[in-house]
Amino acid sequence: MAPTRPTTDARAIVEPSGSDTEFVFFSGKGGVGKSTVSCATATWLADNDYNTLLVTTDPAPNLSDIFGQEIGHEVTEIEDIDNLSAIEIDPDQAAEDYRQETIEPMRELLDDEQIQAVEEQLNSPCVEEIAAFDNFVDFMDSPEYDVVVFDTAPTGHTIRLMELPSDWNAELEKGGSTCIGPAASMEDRKQDYEHAIETLQDSEQTSFAFVGKPEDSSIDEIQRSASDLGDLGIESQLLIINGYLPESVCEDPFFNGKRADEQAVIERAESEFDADAMATYPLQPGEIAGLDLLADVGGVLYDGDDATVEVGSVPNGAAETSVDFDSLTDPDAVAEKLQPVDGETRYLFFTGKGGVGKSTIAATSATKLAEAGYETLVVTTDPAAHLEDIFGEPVGHEPTSVSQANLDAARIDQEKALDEYRQQVLDHVTEMYAEKEDTRIDVEAAIANVEEELESPCAEEMAALEKFVGYFEEDGYDIVVFDTAPTGHTLRLLELPSDWKGFMDLGSLTKGAAPATGDQYDTVIETMQDPDKSSFAFVMSPEYTPMMEAYRAAKDLHDQVGIETAFVVANYLLPEAYGDNAFFANRRAQQQQYLGEIQDRFETPLMGAPLRQDEPIGLDELSAFGDAVTGLDALGEQAAEVPQQ
Amino acid sequence: MTEIHLYEEAMCCSTGVCGPDPDDELVELSAALDQLEAEFEDAEISRANMQHNIDEFLNTEAIYDLVEEHGPEILPITTVDGEIVAKEEYLSYDELAAELRDRHTQPQEAH
Repeated sequence: MAPTRPTTDARAIVEPSGSDTEFVFFSGKGGVGKSTVSCATATWLADNDYNTLLVTTDPAPNLSDIFGQEIGHEVTEIEDIDNLSAIEIDPDQAAEDYRQETIEPMRELLDDEQIQAVEEQLNSPCVEEIAAFDNFVDFMDSPEYDVVVFDTAPTGHTIRLMELPSDWNAELEKGGSTCIGPAASMEDRKQDYEHAIETLQDSEQTSFAFVGKPEDSSIDEIQRSASDLGDLGIESQLLIINGYLPESVCEDPFFNGKRADEQAVIERAESEFDADAMATYPLQPGEIAGLDLLADVGGVLYDGDDATVEVGSVPNGAAETSVDFDSLTDPDAVAEKLQPVDGETRYLFFTGKGGVGKSTIAATSATKLAEAGYETLVVTTDPAAHLEDIFGEPVGHEPTSVSQANLDAARIDQEKALDEYRQQVLDHVTEMYAEKEDTRIDVEAAIANVEEELESPCAEEMAALEKFVGYFEEDGYDIVVFDTAPTGHTLRLLELPSDWKGFMDLGSLTKGAAPATGDQYDTVIETMQDPDKSSFAFVMSPEYTPMMEAYRAAKDLHDQVGIETAFVVANYLLPEAYGDNAFFANRRAQQQQYLGEIQDRFETPLMGAPLRQDEPIGLDELSAFGDAVTGLDALGEQAAEVPQQ
Repeated sequence: MTEIHLYEEAMCCSTGVCGPDPDDELVELSAALDQLEAEFEDAEISRANMQHNIDEFLNTEAIYDLVEEHGPEILPITTVDGEIVAKEEYLSYDELAAELRDRHTQPQEAH
């Protein structure tokens, strides 16, 4: 099968077919080129005489770079393209607006201190999801446009939250509230929400497209999201694989091998992924900006044109200033952040979006730390469970020892964690009623009620957190390495202890809750805030979107939980030994530029890790890989100076 | 018909099953209210919390005055047909059932 199927398939999917406004949603992780593809699609639609609106909710939008024009949070006409308007919505601002709208009427009755307490309560991830969904809803009534292109899409999780489970209606009638939000204010919008979800489910009016990289993990992730959406009656119609290595530039075995792997992934996606159409676009030597390149993307995706890859010449001075990585990094500074201080357990958190290789970095760090003589536990909360693939050995829900001396691994199994959490809550409630023998309450009905409540997506988050906190109590390790779930999810997990702490101090939500739990979370937060005990590391590839996402996540950690980033990991650095041509010279220059920017933004030590032909599998390969990673290469000698524990 | 109305503090989740630990008091209350609604046909029970139903606080003079004077610590307030029967704490199932009986609301079994 050829790598690209007739592109008219993709065209039929995004092109409006009726008189009603149609919607195109692009879903995918940061750094896969979602913005580029959205902009190219919107431009292509406008060029084909459809009145088009492009909506981005990217927190670090780069539409202005792509179109060469400031856009902002008002609908703005794109100067050089007829029929095209765009708007950038700041999701943080949207959440803040939503909060203020809720709080405003309370000002009449409550004083500042009380208002602040309510504000803290509203600082929950659920509120952010409602606000984000509101953004979609607002633009799903846009009769003046033929087509609206969104550079982001609601997740299955968000839709489930908004779908108003059947008992939600009953809850509304009672005037109560659910953890999905203010019942009263949502009631007004109930019809809007229902309409929005119906539209999302209508494949005639709405197209769902996924953008991914030609990597197994990227495709796996898309499969999961798509099946999540499929359960909710939303069909994925288009898969776009972006950024494959062009054949003409892969002259040596290293890149030729990578290219072959990518093509295999594309073929696999084509045969396995249940989409109506698929399209691909190659990696460019630079970033995609400007109308010419956008037109090229649109032409390839929707008109079946051949891609233009202008390799150009070696950028000025690039030959002399090839990535001088050594000057940017200090192995000892990184190593210091990895090791325990004063015999206290060190907690290492590797965080970052999916596809940046943080599982590999976490496993490699754990392996090298264990080699250096530290008793080490590595824990994954990643539902994809990469850890097992990386070690090439089974990894269980409980800490399991792997072949490397001093090294254990564990995987948080979401299902199991959820079962454990549910059981714990039900036991608690049962016990509570058992102590009240004189009550005339129907205990069975009450417990059944609680059981139903536990079916919420929120319960899943609680369950994961419970398990996560549990690992802070594991004894006997010098170092615990967390290979955390993708950033957004991670933040939710990490922020929640703080949020709940707020709730507990307020005393309203958990009036009468066991204070022991509050203390336990306190300890966890204090441990995470202590730079001698915990290190947070952001893993990213040195590119614009991954860098901005990591920066934003780091800022959130700082602002909301008071946690400083210990160091950053720049992964997938292009090796010097291969790719000796203008294409890769340009790519290297771009990496160099972003390494400088990362350095300026984060002001922390930098751990650099090279691009490998294949991901390291098994302890030997992990260990060899670790020798090429900044900081891990400096461990051996350092650990020797430390008395073995 | 007898109307029971609860005015509660701002809270995220009135069922009590939201957070690291279930809130015993809220779990019990939710169950009690469900059961009362099932048992007393004429009973109409509703809850308003400050975060989600602020209008009901602003539009009910007696409640407005109490909260303004004492702050939200005065909550929860329970009213039966508009008359305040409890402040600063929730009534139990038995107490609420007694209130309903006092007002001649018939349990469904009696029909």
